[in-house]
Amino acid sequence: MTALITLTGVNKYYADYHALREINLTINAGEFFSLLGPSGCGKTTLLRTIAGFESVSDGVVMIGGKDMADVPANLRPTNMVFQSYAIFPHLTVAENVAFGLRKSKDLDKPTKAKMVEEALTMVGLAGYGKRAAHALSGGQRQRVALARALILKPKVLLLDEPLSALDKKMREQMQVELIRLQRQVGITFILVTHDQEEALVMSDRIAVMFEGEIGQLADPETLYRRPNSRRVASFIGKMNFLDAEVNAVSEEIDVTVQGLGPLKISAEQAPEEVSVGPAVAGIRPETLGILFEGETTNRKLVDGVVDEVVYYGDMTYYDVRIDGVAQPLNIAMKNLIGRPVLDVGAKTRVIWDERSLVLLK
Amino acid sequence: MSLRIYAIAYLIFLYAPIILLPIFAFNDATIIAFPLSGFTTDWFTELASNKSLHAAVKNSLFIALVSAITSTILGVCAARAGAMHRFRFKAGIMGFIMLPLVLPEIIVAVSLLVVVVQIFDLGLSNWTIIAAHVLICTPFCIAILNGAFQNLDPAMEEAAMDLGESRFSAFRLVTLPLVMPGIISSMLIAFTISLDEFIIAFFLSGASPTMPVYIWGLLRFPASLPVVMALGTILVALSIVLLTIAELLRRRGLARAGVKDKGGFL
Amino acid sequence: MLSKFLSSENGRGLLMVSPPFLYAMLLMAFPLIAIFLFSFWTQDFMTLDTTFTLNNYREIAEKPIYGALLQRSLFVSASVTAVTVLLAFPVAYFLSFHVRPDRKSLWLFLITIPFWTSYLIRVFLWKVILGYNGVINTGLINVGLIDEPLTFILYNVNAVIITLAHAFAPFAILPIFVALEKIDRSLLEASQDLGESKFMTFMRITLPLAMPGVVGAVLIVFIPTIGDYVTPELMGGAGGKLIANMIQTQFLALNNAPLGAALAIVAMLCVTAISLTFVLINRRWLKGRS
Repeated sequence: MTALITLTGVNKYYADYHALREINLTINAGEFFSLLGPSGCGKTTLLRTIAGFESVSDGVVMIGGKDMADVPANLRPTNMVFQSYAIFPHLTVAENVAFGLRKSKDLDKPTKAKMVEEALTMVGLAGYGKRAAHALSGGQRQRVALARALILKPKVLLLDEPLSALDKKMREQMQVELIRLQRQVGITFILVTHDQEEALVMSDRIAVMFEGEIGQLADPETLYRRPNSRRVASFIGKMNFLDAEVNAVSEEIDVTVQGLGPLKISAEQAPEEVSVGPAVAGIRPETLGILFEGETTNRKLVDGVVDEVVYYGDMTYYDVRIDGVAQPLNIAMKNLIGRPVLDVGAKTRVIWDERSLVLLK
Repeated sequence: MSLRIYAIAYLIFLYAPIILLPIFAFNDATIIAFPLSGFTTDWFTELASNKSLHAAVKNSLFIALVSAITSTILGVCAARAGAMHRFRFKAGIMGFIMLPLVLPEIIVAVSLLVVVVQIFDLGLSNWTIIAAHVLICTPFCIAILNGAFQNLDPAMEEAAMDLGESRFSAFRLVTLPLVMPGIISSMLIAFTISLDEFIIAFFLSGASPTMPVYIWGLLRFPASLPVVMALGTILVALSIVLLTIAELLRRRGLARAGVKDKGGFL
Repeated sequence: MLSKFLSSENGRGLLMVSPPFLYAMLLMAFPLIAIFLFSFWTQDFMTLDTTFTLNNYREIAEKPIYGALLQRSLFVSASVTAVTVLLAFPVAYFLSFHVRPDRKSLWLFLITIPFWTSYLIRVFLWKVILGYNGVINTGLINVGLIDEPLTFILYNVNAVIITLAHAFAPFAILPIFVALEKIDRSLLEASQDLGESKFMTFMRITLPLAMPGVVGAVLIVFIPTIGDYVTPELMGGAGGKLIANMIQTQFLALNNAPLGAALAIVAMLCVTAISLTFVLINRRWLKGRS
């Protein structure tokens, strides 16, 4: 893997507001990389500093080994799909796609026309060239925006919340298409999104950002299973938090978790800088379970009382109170054949396993 | 229902004087009063042979054209800055530029007169009128152009730059075609204002009068009033044509940008 | 340093706004300062005496004619404003609430057209309408309502007010219309849902929310009318002359520019003071809305 984009010590200030704080980041060639975070976390600002629409207050942005400090947006080897798509309404679809080819004087007209048609075919809009741009649907606009950027064969394609304007069905379809497209053209995609599911589905690696900082940078599975902090854990998916006390750190970690008692977990379930003292343990709802009548388990069990039931059709979410823990545990159960939906107040037994526990900063 | 009747009555009140214009312009009598006596086109023929009127019209057209172009250019700068940029003291600066909209015209006239004649000791000419007309037309241009620029997605120019165009050619290739209807509509409005403006022109005109100043002179001679009516008829017809074009362009501009129409010029 | 400033967002915006800003500086702010200075000088025929003096202001304060003219001017401007805004509000309301959305711009267009067409001739035509042998008098005599032509409608302050109210009508309608358009219609439904009648909903919701537009309309009519000398000249007769006529006379006929300048300054200060007071009185309606 070769590094394509390196950001070193990047900071961005707007007057008194510190929008990006000391960002250090390497993005590899051919990678599908996502910037994920709540709105206002600086992810779009970071994308725009790579595109060249925002200057950095401090630090270095390198693309392909070259410092981008004095390279304006129009000369950078990046192209962007804008959140609003920014399809030029006074041009046809083909004219939009060919927009960036104007400067390529060495290409003759038929060549350009062929490139446009290829680009449109690639995004599934073959034959749409003559249409007026302002008459397109949201999904079609997005495809035009993609074709318009990809026709220039950039080293990096930047996507600023490209799916946020689409409805759920269209969004899921475009996710799959974007992955296919990225594999097909093989260039680096950098996606900005606030949708954790979208980031998990599409990315090779994800940087989760909070308040101008990168909170965690990892592949989707690590990010989900081993979040390094409470805010990452609660931003991505659901997680139950339990107070814990680390008793000893060796090959394994000896920890007492509220409601679950003393237990041992492996070192990779805890942050590197773990030390003896109070900590927080996290456990995902789907790694807990309820022992229904007639079912058996060889996992550990703890008694509880159902506090709340939310029925989702395929799933039921239970809040179950266990002794010694103030906050009820959230448990996700698949509604398999023969499983009843329990009532509030029902006595039950909660299945758990220390392998799904993670210690958080 | 009663509101609708009131609104129509109001429109009649607004149009009352204008409706009289063509009536007296074609009336075969030198006194502007009822009852009417007969039909004639003499007053229009008289217009055609009036040399000093032609000179005044030519003056006014020149002043209006230069004022329209200049104030629209200034308007584009202001509207673009207002809609697409953030900068310090923005509200104050924009308010200051719009101030001529509420400044009494006589104040504009006398203050410029003092500066030009008494302080710089320069002669009055068409250019002094143009200077003042640009000042009062610019806020109107900004008001019209604001509509065009605010409907513009700021990502549009960025997209063009992202696709390899410089800042200037991004403006030329993307923004300019999109705001063009607004620009033409702004020029037409400024042209109409300048062509019609009297209060300032009366103070600042040099040896050769503008058309309104010339008309003002005619208003004192009862014998020339029917000719004024004929001239007025032509002017009103011309303004209506220009304004209709401006309005149609403004709507087309909105349609092109895919925006719903929210109402008139201001 | 400069290039860094010009490539920043702030710098680009300031650069973009600088041509119209500098133009307004040069041709508005600077002349206004000049005329202010000028009002403290004196002029004897063609020679200008630039020693500082308050003589012009003293003369304005001492000679009753100036005070009387100023008072009449302010009265006319205030009446015109009141008449215009009161007549305009129902039209704006009708436009906003009762006209089909796709017809609105046609109505607005019809309302603005007379405003853009030959001002001088329009004023003159009011003379034709209101005059001794005018449309109204001949009409009323023919119908038999009166025997003698009415004389109170021309060459006096009334005629000036009618004509100016006509000239500034669109200026009053547009800001009120814009304010009414901004009102979220569900607010009116909410008010009726909470038990208010249509009329009280208008008083408690529509009117307060339309106030920014009304204030805008008042200012945009009141301030410029003080500077009009055409209408009083043509319509006012001997008793209908206003301060603007006097300013014009001082500058053009009597060649006493400094006194004219002082008059202009005094008139502008009065108008500004009244406008600011009006805005202050209404400030509770203007808060929190833009």
